Order: sequence, then C-alpha cells, then structure tokens
Amino acid sequence: MKKALKKVFSKLFFYVALFIVLAVVLIPYLWMVSGSFKTTLEIQSADVTKPELSPSWIPRKFTWENYLRVNRTVRMLDYFRNSLIISIGTMIFSVIISLFAAYGLSRFNFSWKHGYTLLTLSTQMFPGISFLIPYFMMFVLIRYYLGIPMQNTYWGMIFTYTSFALPFSVLMLRNFLDSIPREIDEQAQIDGCTPFGALMRVILPLSKPGIAAVGIYSFIMAWNEVLFATVLTGRETKTVALGLLEYITAQQARWSGMMAACILVSIPVLILFSFMQKYIIEGLVAGATKG
Amino acid sequence: MLFVHIIPILWGVYIAFIDLDIYTITQWMKAPFVGLQNFFTVFSPATDTGIRYLRSIWNVVYFGLVTIPAGYVIGLLVALLLNREFSGRTIVRGLILLPYITPDSVAYNVWRFIFQARIGIVNKYLLALGLIKEPVLWLVGDRAIYTVMIASIWKGWPFACLILLAGLQNISRELYEAAKIDGASSFQLFRFITFPLLRPVSATLLLLSAIWNFHAFNQFYILLGTDPGKAHVPSTFILQEAFTNFHLSRGAAMSVFLTVLIFLMTAIVIYARRGRERE
Repeated sequence: MKKALKKVFSKLFFYVALFIVLAVVLIPYLWMVSGSFKTTLEIQSADVTKPELSPSWIPRKFTWENYLRVNRTVRMLDYFRNSLIISIGTMIFSVIISLFAAYGLSRFNFSWKHGYTLLTLSTQMFPGISFLIPYFMMFVLIRYYLGIPMQNTYWGMIFTYTSFALPFSVLMLRNFLDSIPREIDEQAQIDGCTPFGALMRVILPLSKPGIAAVGIYSFIMAWNEVLFATVLTGRETKTVALGLLEYITAQQARWSGMMAACILVSIPVLILFSFMQKYIIEGLVAGATKG
Repeated sequence: MLFVHIIPILWGVYIAFIDLDIYTITQWMKAPFVGLQNFFTVFSPATDTGIRYLRSIWNVVYFGLVTIPAGYVIGLLVALLLNREFSGRTIVRGLILLPYITPDSVAYNVWRFIFQARIGIVNKYLLALGLIKEPVLWLVGDRAIYTVMIASIWKGWPFACLILLAGLQNISRELYEAAKIDGASSFQLFRFITFPLLRPVSATLLLLSAIWNFHAFNQFYILLGTDPGKAHVPSTFILQEAFTNFHLSRGAAMSVFLTVLIFLMTAIVIYARRGRERE
C-alpha cells in the first residue's frame, strides 16, 4: 500500500515538474501570439497599475490587421526578400565549398592536414566582433581600389556569411564523408571515374543528408545573424533580424506589429529545422562532445 | 579558411597598432604607427573609454558566472527528467528545443516586450502578487543586466539539456542495474554513476559555453538597444566605439584583447585537463 502510494506520488511529481518546464518554455511564445492579435491601441493603452487596463492574455479586440499589414510601417516584405536571397546564397556557396574541402580532408593525405583541421576548429573560438572591423575595412578598400561595391550588397553579405558558416560545415561534412567507406569511391575509380567524377557521381548522392544539414545550418545562420548585418547592410539589403528592431523607434512602439513579424520570421527556421532535426542535432552533439 | 579568417584577424591586430579612424580608412597604409597607445587608452582607468571597457569586460564575466551554471543546472535537471520513458516524450523533447532554435532576434524582442514597464506581463504579475509597489523599469540602469541574464538562460539551457541528454543515453543501463542490486539509493546512483560519467561531456559543454559567453552580443543589443549604458559587454561596446564614435583602431585594440583573453582561457582549461588525465 505504502509503496503504491509512493509510486503515485513520484509519478505526480514527475508530471508536475514536466508541466512547469513546458510552461516556462512556452509562456513567451503564448505572449507573442497573443500580442500579435491585439490592436496597437490596446497595447499602447495597457497599464499594469490599472486593473481595468491590465495587459490580458486574450486580446480584448481580436484582429488580423498585424499580419495583413505587416509591410505597412516597416518594409518587412523587402527584408524577407533580402534575407531569402542572402540566406539561400550562403547556403549554396557554403555547401559547394565545404563539400570540396571536406572531400579533400576525408580522402586525401597531406602533411598539414591535422594542422588545417585544428585551425578550422580554432576559428570557431574567435569572437565575431574581432572580424567586424577588418571585414568593414576590406569592404571599404575593395570599393576604393577596385570600384566594386561590397557594403550594402547581396554578394558582400553572402561572402561574409559563407565565410562564417564554413568551419562548422567543413567539419560536419568531413565527419559525414568519413562514415562512407573508401572502397565505394575506389570502386568507382576502377570503373573509370576520375576522383572528381567519383565525388560527383557516387559520393554526392550518398551524402545528401549531410549536405542538406550543412545547407540548412548555413541558411539558419545567415537568417539569424545580427552583428554583421548592423554594420554591413544598408537600406537595400537589410535582413529580417534587423527589420524587427525597426518596429520600436524613439517616437512609437508597434509591439503588435512586431509580434506578428516575429512569428513570420520564425516560420522558415522552424520548418527547416523540423525537416532536418535529426541530422542537425547529431551534428551539434558530435561537434560539442568530440570537440 | 586562411583567406577569410586568419588574414582578417592578423589585419585586425595591425589596425590595433596604428591610428585609424573612419575618415583616413582608405589611406590605412599611411596611418601613423602608434605602438601600444590604443591599448593604453582602452585599459586606462583614467580615460572614459578605459573605464567603460573594463566595466564591459567585468559585465561579460559576471554574466557568464550567472548564466552558465544556471543553464547547466537547469539543463541537467531537465535532462534527468526526460531520460525516462513516458508517452509523448518525443513531443516534449521537440518543445523544449524551441528556445534554442528560435532566432535570437525573435526571442529577445519577445522578452523585451515581456519586460516592458507598463505593458509587460512581468510587472503585471509582480504587482498582483504584491512583490513590487509600482512598475519597475527593467531594461535600464543597474537592473538591465539581470533582465538580459533571465532571457539568456531561457534561450540557452535547452542546448545544455540536449548535450547532457545525449551524454546520459551513452551510459549503459547495466551499471545502474548492478548498483541497484547492491542496494544503492537513487541519489547514490546519481552521485557515483551518472555524474562522474557525464564529466567529459560536461567539461566540453562548459568550455564551449565559456567561450561563447565572451561572444555575447545579440541579447544585449536587442534587449537594451544600441547603447546599453552600464550594461555594455565588449561586443556592444566595440561596435559603439568603432562605428558610432568612429574610433576604428581603439575598437580593433579591444577586439584583439578579447580574442587573446578567450585563447588564454581555453589554453589554461585544456592544459589543466591534460594534466589531470595524466595523473
């Protein structure tokens, strides 16, 4: 009897704890969703000191306006297009470059291979801010000497983000390629493929999941980045991460519009992540535990 | 890799030793070499920049001392909770990962909304519970850094949880069964099996968190705006010095110091760990 009671209690405790964890995780999302359906007037007139105006979870007046007019005060649709171009560009370049680099690291032996791998790992340690000033100068000088505009251009941002996505992408793809037996590409070469042909015809199809994971990682990285975007983008190339900040200015705060935009900004990331969850998590866990 | 990472870093080091601002940038090769002068400026407690930079370093250290252990402990507790079998486990695991995968810009803007003085829910409930008498301004002054800590812990613990959960699943069940037969209590199981076997994973996790802590930027910039005032961290302060006040070389000097700090810290940790493994 006593033992059964103890079991019930432990089960109860377990579910209560689980509930608390989930509540803490989900409350900000609920508040975001709730805010996105309120009118600007309702949020601006809210006042925690007055019970009748206290901010509520259920909107007093439910509205779709914030979603329908997401482009009205802030040019959010333009920022979406910019972010899509920059993120997809980053994805393509980082996949192509990291595939070749990873293939080289995985299949060929050269004397400074170990050093190169260590160097790649160590670049993860540099704080982003230490690249900001050199990159900014590089952009200014390229424009000055070569006449190619880099700041506030798509290729400038794609170049920047590709370079940041590469270390993780290379190491992750290398791990993936290491798991494909060498015999397979040897076989392909016996059948008359060049090393390059073997890569394209045999290794490429086999490493699709790894390539997808690296591509999605690069996309998400570029979609979320804030620091470099503040300095290196301008009116024409501003990304969604910065666009969100525009809802709050010194003159006015459009929280409801921002919450609606927040939800729209999260959607691509959530879709991509759930799509490739298994591989991204494996990559992260491997990256963090093998160090 | 060499071209896009190492050369810019070396160039950044060079910029730290010359006197360069946004107007002379195209003539950077002719800029006067000033030796360590920039470093003296950014560390001297006698200059305004020096005071503020030193404070920003202290802030990021303090920030890490709070958020890293908190994130680790919460992550470990939840990982232990989720390590058992129950229906709906996959869904719960997916849900707790949400903060980790939500873009920083989204998450911290939502937290900024939550912490608003008159329209936020934090003040609403604190007032209702009678813990405060009037709305608190969370995002300015001395309190700001604690607000950022709360939002960061919320955003960061799922990663610790994910890594620790992976670590837990590598521990063989037979160990527990053997210990149970010997009459070990569940606390003893944790103390003598789980915790020691999680040590390698934990060490890597804490080292990574410590490195990333010095990169902290998004949470401060988004929650507190372009000028976090007393709650500056190196990244936000360097951004302000280099691109609002146009002291590029000072910014570079501060970046170089930050990088050296991270490397030293990592080297010490790795060296200490090797020493212990040899024993």
